[in-house]
Amino acid sequence: METIKQLKDAMVEGDDARCAELAREIVAAGADLRAVIAELAAEMEEVGRRFEEMEIFLPEVLLSADAMTAIMAVFTPELSRDTAVATKGTVVVGTARGDMHQIGKDLVALFLQIAGFEVVDLGTDVDALDFIHEAERANADVIGISSLMTTTMPGATEVVTLLKDKGVRDRFKVVVGGAPTSQEWADKIGADGWAEESGGAIDVIKELISGRD
Amino acid sequence: MAYRQWEIMERASTGAFMEEKDFLNKRITSKMRAVIKEYGVKFDPAHPVPTDDAMADAVWQAAWDFFRDVGVYNQDTHRVIEFSEEEMREALYCAPSSYTVGLGKDSRVFGHRTVEDPRPPFVIFSPDITYHEADFFQACVAYLKEPLLDAICSPLLEDFQGRAIQSKTPFEIGGSMEHAMHLRSAARLMGVPGICMIAVGTAETDVAQLSVSQPDWGIRPSDGRLVSSITEMMTNNAMLNKGAHYQMYGSFSGNLTGTIYGAYAGGAEGTAIMQAAYHLMGLLLYGCNFQQNFPFHLKHGSNTGREMLWVVSMYSQAVSRNTHLVQDSNGFANAGPGTDMLFYEAAAHSIASTVSGANLWETAPARNKHANHGTPLEARLAAEVGHAVARQGMTRAQADEVVNLLLAKYEAHIPDAPLGQTFQELYDVAKAVPKTEYLDLYYRAKEDIAALGVEFLY
Repeated sequence: METIKQLKDAMVEGDDARCAELAREIVAAGADLRAVIAELAAEMEEVGRRFEEMEIFLPEVLLSADAMTAIMAVFTPELSRDTAVATKGTVVVGTARGDMHQIGKDLVALFLQIAGFEVVDLGTDVDALDFIHEAERANADVIGISSLMTTTMPGATEVVTLLKDKGVRDRFKVVVGGAPTSQEWADKIGADGWAEESGGAIDVIKELISGRD
Repeated sequence: MAYRQWEIMERASTGAFMEEKDFLNKRITSKMRAVIKEYGVKFDPAHPVPTDDAMADAVWQAAWDFFRDVGVYNQDTHRVIEFSEEEMREALYCAPSSYTVGLGKDSRVFGHRTVEDPRPPFVIFSPDITYHEADFFQACVAYLKEPLLDAICSPLLEDFQGRAIQSKTPFEIGGSMEHAMHLRSAARLMGVPGICMIAVGTAETDVAQLSVSQPDWGIRPSDGRLVSSITEMMTNNAMLNKGAHYQMYGSFSGNLTGTIYGAYAGGAEGTAIMQAAYHLMGLLLYGCNFQQNFPFHLKHGSNTGREMLWVVSMYSQAVSRNTHLVQDSNGFANAGPGTDMLFYEAAAHSIASTVSGANLWETAPARNKHANHGTPLEARLAAEVGHAVARQGMTRAQADEVVNLLLAKYEAHIPDAPLGQTFQELYDVAKAVPKTEYLDLYYRAKEDIAALGVEFLY
């Protein structure tokens, strides 16, 4: 269907007004919206791959993500309860206490959303207990903690320790990451997953959640 | 006094409200796209050291418009601090072009440099990385022995009293004080008691910075301090606290900013424009006396690749040609110490920076993320290269050729750069001098670099 191709192109170009217009045409034509959404998701994966290779940059990804949001705003009311697109899981993300470096966390949050996850972004410099409270409130599957400095890595350790002390360690998977961290350190503090960079974090979270099913 | 300090601080609570995501995802990105287009800024991969004066001026004009229209976001108050065109011009006009930093016989002039300036750069030696407590003092000693050192930003402490330093805890205060005390003692023992210290990096928080402002054993008004931004063009109350404290204590303050290539600024063009704009942010928001620049690649965490050297050279030229502000250029290399690749990267960064009007801050090895992976020797080589190319009158066109030759030696290895060895493996720690094999590697690298056209002074 030509309109679907135009929609994908407009999404990649980040033209959200055009996307909304085309999305309405597709709804009016009675297309299978779940199939269209699957095609759009595949296209967004390609956007992510191009970003990973630095063929495009974050502003272009953000524009495409906004365009995808504009499309979903048109599609969602048309999806009946049984055909609604299910979330792949819920992830609470933030940077460890004292850490103001947010780009890694921002990228993880963005690409998790693009991949179909619910994301609760707690921002930077997050208290260890706040990670847990927000994960409980959102009934999250994963807590993701980013540390860009050796002096904030203990903030991630604190989250794991508090989960144990509260007796809720098994309720959440914990993924840690950031430039100075390592798999060895993640194992030592008792995290479930580790990634040095944002791209790796998405794969680790996907794997951990699929392992739960 | 810093430029209209309290009037500007007030805007942190009275500026226009905005959601943080709207500031980052819409205001910054859309304005950046607009100025890149309006001023026709274009990255040329063939020339990592560009020679186009008109392009450098376009980058500055784009940075000016960008900063004026975007402002700075305060994460704590969710408000945008904005500056008028008149304020920007006034602050720029009033800013000194040089400062005498340090004390007595160890004092130095840290000043503005012009493009292709024959005067050597002011060189700040720093590994920009954490060291273990046991070797921290000797690491400071090793750096302070360097003859071309004009100021030092010493290693950071990884632990304090055997415990990992955690930000926002008493261990950060203790570690920061230990850092300042050791550095001060090391400087006295090495015969440079008045040398300018840009310190202390271990103190991440405002409280920890305040704890080391102590002229007897800690940081003096004659020393340098750093205040940073949050990616991109954002601040918070803790940073404003630091900025205000530095002004009132009297230290020379630097705006520590590293635009991330590939992130909110986009590619090389946006990264250069954003980095130039940070000079205005530091001057107007924090009253900074110098700008500490470390733009880096999102994926590699370095600034010695082709696109990053273009960024470094371009914003340095833009600022140098259009202002009299004091700027330095902080090298972030991919390879670790004890590798020839690190020496080549350090040389390339030094050349691109020096001929473009910057001072030097060298060198953060191994993507700036591995403890103890930094030594004074790569910084020495960068400093010697900087002095050499300035004294020999190397032009940007000549620098471009040499940097291209250096890139040919290491560019392909950036993704899998060697981690190298630690300070403890490469130095005789007790004597704080490089081991013979490490010195041999340094001399071989120096010969290679000399063969490319760098006329070392000794």
